[in-house]
Amino acid sequence: MSDFIERAKFSCALGGALTTIEGIPRAVPIVHAAGGCASALSGTYNLAAGYRGIGYCGGNMIPTTNIAENNVVFGGEDRLAEQIESTLKALDADLYIVVSGCQVEIIGDDTVAVANRYRNRGVIGASTPGFSGNTYRGYDAIMTTLIDNIIEQSDEKEPATVNILGVVPGHDVFFRGNLDELRTLLASIGVKTNTFFGSGESVAAIRKYGSAGLNIVFSTQAGIDSAKAFERRHGIPYIQSEIPIGPGATSAFLRQVADALHLDRARVEDVIARETRTYYSFLERIVDIYADLDFQRWLIVSADSYYAHPLTRFLANDLGWLPFVTNVHDIDDEYDQARYDDLFKDIDSVRKPIVMFERNPSELVESVRRAWSDNHNEKYYNALTPAYVVGSVIERGLAETLNAGFLSVAFPVSNRVILNKRIAGFNGALTLVEDLITNLVSAR
Amino acid sequence: MSKYSDELSYGFTSTLAPPVRETRIGVCSAFCGSCSQLRGDVKSGCAQMQRRKFDQSGGCQLGLACGIVSSLTNVVMITHSPLGCNSRYVAMGGMRRTMRASKGKKDEEFIWLHTNMGELDVVQGGIDKLRRAVLYAEKQYHPEAIIIANGCVPGIIGDDIDSLCSELEDQVSAKLVPIHCEGFKSRYVASGYDSAYHGVLRFLIDPYERYDKALNRASGSRDEGEERDRFKQSRTVNLFNVGSNSNGDEVELCRLVHALGLNPRFLPLHASLDDLKHIGEAALNVSVCATHDDYLLGHLKERFGTPYIIDTLPIGVKNTGIWLRKIAEYFHLEDEAERLIAIETAQLEEALAPIKERLKGKSIFVGGGETRILTTAEFFHSLGMKLLGVKAHNVDRFVEDILENVTDGELLIEVAAGMPAEELNILSKLKPDLYCGHVGANGWVTRLGIPTIPLFGQAFNFMGYSGAFELARKADKSLQNTNFARNISRNVELPLSEAWLASDVNDNIKERESA
Repeated sequence: MSDFIERAKFSCALGGALTTIEGIPRAVPIVHAAGGCASALSGTYNLAAGYRGIGYCGGNMIPTTNIAENNVVFGGEDRLAEQIESTLKALDADLYIVVSGCQVEIIGDDTVAVANRYRNRGVIGASTPGFSGNTYRGYDAIMTTLIDNIIEQSDEKEPATVNILGVVPGHDVFFRGNLDELRTLLASIGVKTNTFFGSGESVAAIRKYGSAGLNIVFSTQAGIDSAKAFERRHGIPYIQSEIPIGPGATSAFLRQVADALHLDRARVEDVIARETRTYYSFLERIVDIYADLDFQRWLIVSADSYYAHPLTRFLANDLGWLPFVTNVHDIDDEYDQARYDDLFKDIDSVRKPIVMFERNPSELVESVRRAWSDNHNEKYYNALTPAYVVGSVIERGLAETLNAGFLSVAFPVSNRVILNKRIAGFNGALTLVEDLITNLVSAR
Repeated sequence: MSKYSDELSYGFTSTLAPPVRETRIGVCSAFCGSCSQLRGDVKSGCAQMQRRKFDQSGGCQLGLACGIVSSLTNVVMITHSPLGCNSRYVAMGGMRRTMRASKGKKDEEFIWLHTNMGELDVVQGGIDKLRRAVLYAEKQYHPEAIIIANGCVPGIIGDDIDSLCSELEDQVSAKLVPIHCEGFKSRYVASGYDSAYHGVLRFLIDPYERYDKALNRASGSRDEGEERDRFKQSRTVNLFNVGSNSNGDEVELCRLVHALGLNPRFLPLHASLDDLKHIGEAALNVSVCATHDDYLLGHLKERFGTPYIIDTLPIGVKNTGIWLRKIAEYFHLEDEAERLIAIETAQLEEALAPIKERLKGKSIFVGGGETRILTTAEFFHSLGMKLLGVKAHNVDRFVEDILENVTDGELLIEVAAGMPAEELNILSKLKPDLYCGHVGANGWVTRLGIPTIPLFGQAFNFMGYSGAFELARKADKSLQNTNFARNISRNVELPLSEAWLASDVNDNIKERESA
């Protein structure tokens, strides 16, 4: 939490909490805050995450204490109790999660304590004031309260079952599709996957996730706190990975899981060989047009750390594009930046990417321009063309400045609708290539 | 002028922040019952005293305030708050572009900043961050104005954004506009419009000074240029646009006012700062929606002496006629207005005839902002549709006349900003054929299985005569295939309990605690 941010690609902790709760089937948030917070924050992820919707009870359906100036002076805990009572009557849910906004946390209302009074009626609470952090903080707050209060202790572990952490609903705009893809993928090597937010999940199922043998965290910024809570309370170890995109990353991911779970390596290699064959049997369709029309592009990626390296790796190592700049907007700490920078050692093209950590879009435009030599009216100028920008919808301006192709993949995405589309795994990479190349042929 | 606002006072521009609407004009935000009961309860003051036990998330005055000022040309918005406030802007860049394109204005990227207040700032204050953000905005973008919206956190801890603006005034070329729109301060979210216009009035309406001519003329001689300006101004009508009107609406209303021989222009949304400098150069200010602009119009009267009209919203045949007649009356153009209305109405009625035939007897429910829903509902009623009820975000003095004119005293009126649980409760009992509602409500009503049409939209024209035709056409279109709502309702679950759906909405309304 450092300085101001230009066009921040985040909501606050309360926003993160709400988009996380909306990802859980039949879970209802109860917001202790001023009247507008809940529907506005829910709206952020409804409109800017490929129109992900508002879930079972989002948007203006979210129960809210709607506190005002008199509560800021006199406290709002009584009002919260009244709102919890009335919500239990009005709304059906498998789980009610009370979350708090800035106003009530500053004045010292104990939201979690009030929620705990209704524990036996399916109510839990989490402290999620906006000033405590961004979306990631809200995700971890909700996951941690689930881990501490809902997920049952289990001494019997299922070694070949994994929980997925770090895939933040909405903040990964492809979260549903990606989670389903990961589950299918891991099933193919004999691993059962608990996704929390994928198809077929339920609060009843989530209660049993304490029996998993391993947690996999797909982000360095979200889910680590949750993984540690799992480790502490349920004794489940965790490994860190990345969202795998394309044959290279997905094969490596499957091998990583196989090693961690001590699976039969031969079977895993069979699956990798089969899926890679299938992948290329589809990709082969565009070989002619790709080669005839030269679809190799200079690549500029700008995304959060969740997508920045995985996208660069796929587009450089698998698709053969030229990684020019990769910008990561969500890592502030210099040590963490250096560690993230190390990930790019696996880019095996001749051209290596320049990795930047610009938070502010207008500074990114300047930095990208500086990284390529200017045109001083030379007769022969080696221009940054043809180029392609893969990022969030905010990078549309960058793409226009560079006269480059453009696809929005990372949050925010408001210029396309995403239903069950995925970009993870072998299948996801194919849909990503479809979308990238479709933009190049759309005028034909 | 308006009988509603004559007794209101407008002289707040010397204060840092405007009074909230609860104290300035009074408001009812929780009611469910018949129209005649509401009329009585508003007069006695009982309706204004009600609250809810089970409450749902409505709006926030920060969102509404920023919706107004962020639309201005060549400005940068700074939200002084944690990251969540105005985080919806991540989805708004494209909408700003299409809106500007539809008005033929220069394309502009929407630029906003967050001070990103964290825990430490809650303790130490966030003014230093805000200062850096202002200087950054100036350096990167050189905007004409930098608008600073104050959220709840700085509001509670007492960050002094006004002093910062005074401090930086001489260091930046942009005008600095502090907007006090802390969400917790008002449950009547339209207070946000007053907050926005308060800032606009104090810092952005800054008319060009006129200097005396260098050459002295013999007294009595005439300056042709000045005469022309004076004549032009005597025919100029400012129309005040709102977030929910489209460019199509503006084109239509301009066409009608122009047909009276007047010179209309739309302000202040999407305007440039130069446009705002000229805002005082008009013979008359005309409101499109009282909920938005009485504060602005009242103050412009104080400042420039410009008279104003706050009356109905020009939706549907009847209310468009009323709106036009009020304007014409001021300029003594009654005959012209009657001729115009006669021609327009005749043409429209002919076009509506086949649509009316299909809509006749179909039932409808309308939800949204008070003036808009009552005029829209009146229009559907005039098409021969059966009006089952309306739901208003709030009810205040600006709809007293319209409420008085509702002939069916038993008409169901619910007053709630948001509250889809109550609305769905009512709709599940009334079962209208069609619902017309505000953004955020239509999705829930669709889940209930009732087909919907939006109450407004950037791409739709609903105002004036052409808007009336479009609205009728949309209702007609919607009813020709209602499968989407049917299929959604069969397959998507609503969170409402059976006990809730069976309950009486009035059981949820209580008399408020003090303050």
